[in-house]
Amino acid sequence: MGRIVPAIHVENVGKRFGDFTALDGISLDIDAGEFFGFFGPNGAGKTTLLKILTGQLRPTSGSASVLGIDVTKEPLKVKAATGIVPEVESPPSYLTAYEYLYFVSRVRKVDGGEKRIAKWMEFFDLDDSRGTICKDLSKGNRQKLMIAGALIHEPRMLFLDEPFINLDPIFQRKLKVYLKEYSDGGGTVFMCSHLLEIAEKLCDNVAVINKGHIIARGSLAEVRGKHPDLEHAFLDIVEGDA
Amino acid sequence: MLKEEFRMHTSYSSRWMFLTFPILVLLFSFGIAYTSEQIFQNTSLHDMMLMMHISVFIYGLSVGAFGFLGNQYQERSAGYRNYLVTQPSTLPMSFKSTFFGMYLRDGVFYVLLLLVPMAGGLFLSIPLTGFRALSILSLFITALLTFFLGMSLSFFVSTIYIRSRVAFGAACAAVAGVFAVGTVAKLVPLDVLLPGLGMQYRLSPFAFSSGVEALGFGGAAILLIILLTAGAVLLVEDRFESRHVETDDELITQDRRFSGFKRYGTLLAKEVVDLRRSGLITRMAFTYVIPLLFLAFTAWFIRNGLALPVGFNTVFYGGMVGFFGVTFYGWLNNIDHTDYLSTLPLTVPQMIKTKLLAYTLLTSWMSVIFLVAIALVNNDLRLMWLAIPVMIIVSTYIVVMTAYLTGLRTNSFFFDPGVLVRFTVLSMFPDLGLTILAFTIDRYFAYALAGIALVVGALGISTYFFYRGLDKKWGMTDFGA
Repeated sequence: MGRIVPAIHVENVGKRFGDFTALDGISLDIDAGEFFGFFGPNGAGKTTLLKILTGQLRPTSGSASVLGIDVTKEPLKVKAATGIVPEVESPPSYLTAYEYLYFVSRVRKVDGGEKRIAKWMEFFDLDDSRGTICKDLSKGNRQKLMIAGALIHEPRMLFLDEPFINLDPIFQRKLKVYLKEYSDGGGTVFMCSHLLEIAEKLCDNVAVINKGHIIARGSLAEVRGKHPDLEHAFLDIVEGDA
Repeated sequence: MLKEEFRMHTSYSSRWMFLTFPILVLLFSFGIAYTSEQIFQNTSLHDMMLMMHISVFIYGLSVGAFGFLGNQYQERSAGYRNYLVTQPSTLPMSFKSTFFGMYLRDGVFYVLLLLVPMAGGLFLSIPLTGFRALSILSLFITALLTFFLGMSLSFFVSTIYIRSRVAFGAACAAVAGVFAVGTVAKLVPLDVLLPGLGMQYRLSPFAFSSGVEALGFGGAAILLIILLTAGAVLLVEDRFESRHVETDDELITQDRRFSGFKRYGTLLAKEVVDLRRSGLITRMAFTYVIPLLFLAFTAWFIRNGLALPVGFNTVFYGGMVGFFGVTFYGWLNNIDHTDYLSTLPLTVPQMIKTKLLAYTLLTSWMSVIFLVAIALVNNDLRLMWLAIPVMIIVSTYIVVMTAYLTGLRTNSFFFDPGVLVRFTVLSMFPDLGLTILAFTIDRYFAYALAGIALVVGALGISTYFFYRGLDKKWGMTDFGA
């Protein structure tokens, strides 16, 4: 029997920005259908790794593949095959909410784009903002738009950087339910977040990164250990590494 | 703010490369001073000063439009970048003080980057040229006054734009009217309109006994600068809410319109929508049309004002028009942030090519209209058959070459001396060649035509290679980097 290829394979990845080492020899394997939580203090290297895995940044050393695609050699294929919600909710300033989703669906060559746009506009309750240009949308609505843009082509894998930030509790809940169903249906999720309470309800496996090194890795139960919840475990792990 | 500006520019190249820029200006100035003896054989010092002050004034005008810039930073969401000018929303600062801060910041920035090294180059040449240190100092002070007058006027007029578009139009017309009265009708001497120039003409070596008069012009320049700057600051309003825009879905219509451009159609449609909604299209048209008018004025001034027998013809204008495409391409790269594009299956070269297409569609008709108009005014339609292809090829060459050198960060990369030197060499030689050939058309038609064909052919081939090279040079670059 052949070996199952992991959905995400990271081997000894390092990233330097001048004299600053953002990532130092990170190795990870994430299976298809896994909901993976990636946590760490501010500036620990979470977003840097997410950007490398989505072809937005090139690693200084090491290699990585997503859905079997080499992220350094074929970043466009990775972007086409996955959905990405970036750290900052920054849709184009001068397109309306509807136009942004239209733009994304055209760039991604999505079949039946109009129906899918309507679906996600309704899902995120953006119909009232259809004609508002993005710079005039609230932060929350801009975030919803970025998430909708990442889901519109129904990818097999999602990379989410703080997806719940700026969303009100109603939409946090709605997105949580959707992501759970997505993962249960075989979709793979790689999520960076500081909202550990939400993450605890969603993630199968987690890793904690600090100063460019992975300092804890395993199933949710393994990482939580004897602690009452993930938040306590996280504080203990990071403080222990200081 | 100065630190912010410095860090923004150095983030595109490096601290070392950025700091090389003033050294380059210093060396250039030294070179000009060293060869000044030859220059003075054809152009008098009086005319040199006039051209220098006009250039410095126009430069001040071009960098002082903080009313537009500040407004733009506040209105658009800046992606991963944000600027101090937007901070009064959350900090106890007023917009008046941040706009004034921007004015001071850029004033200091350009003086240190350009005027100080320019004067430094002249000082260094003293052992070789025998220039007097006092004359160089007076040149520096008068140029400083003219530069700040240009900046202040631009600051004032652009802040009127924030309050009222009609008043802005009226102010532009008034300024143009004053300068037209001064230059074309010669009712007001140019050294009165530019008191920095007036001061220069009343100092050594132009005059020796009118120190008081020179001080009077200097005082008038300072007063004008203070009045215009104070007026501009007063006009800035503390506006914490940006203009709210509700609109119809225009992208879909534009996308259908550009469907023939295949994979670039939707991207092109987005560029057009961005341009219309950001309001930049009018300002970009101004930045394209104003240099064209300045070119027409300079040619007119040399021919009629200085009475120099230079044979400006339509082919010369065709070549020059092409060289003005750089500013327009720079604006195209400055409409909005590009961070969100990094999450989509798009590449930087694809976006560069889209901007090049947008540039061609938006400017080619403007250039042809200008060329025909200037040919009609000069009663010189006989060479249009040659001028139009020259214009198209030069224009395409200069913009593709600029895109190759600077990618999507044109304005910032021009502060990288390595890029600037390459750009200068690649633009100046063909420019000079075409200008000389255009001037000789009437005397040696066959030779001039063969020369022009050769230069234009070389530019065409170079354009092809620059275009082909875009993928290799920018293919590995990230959006927002």
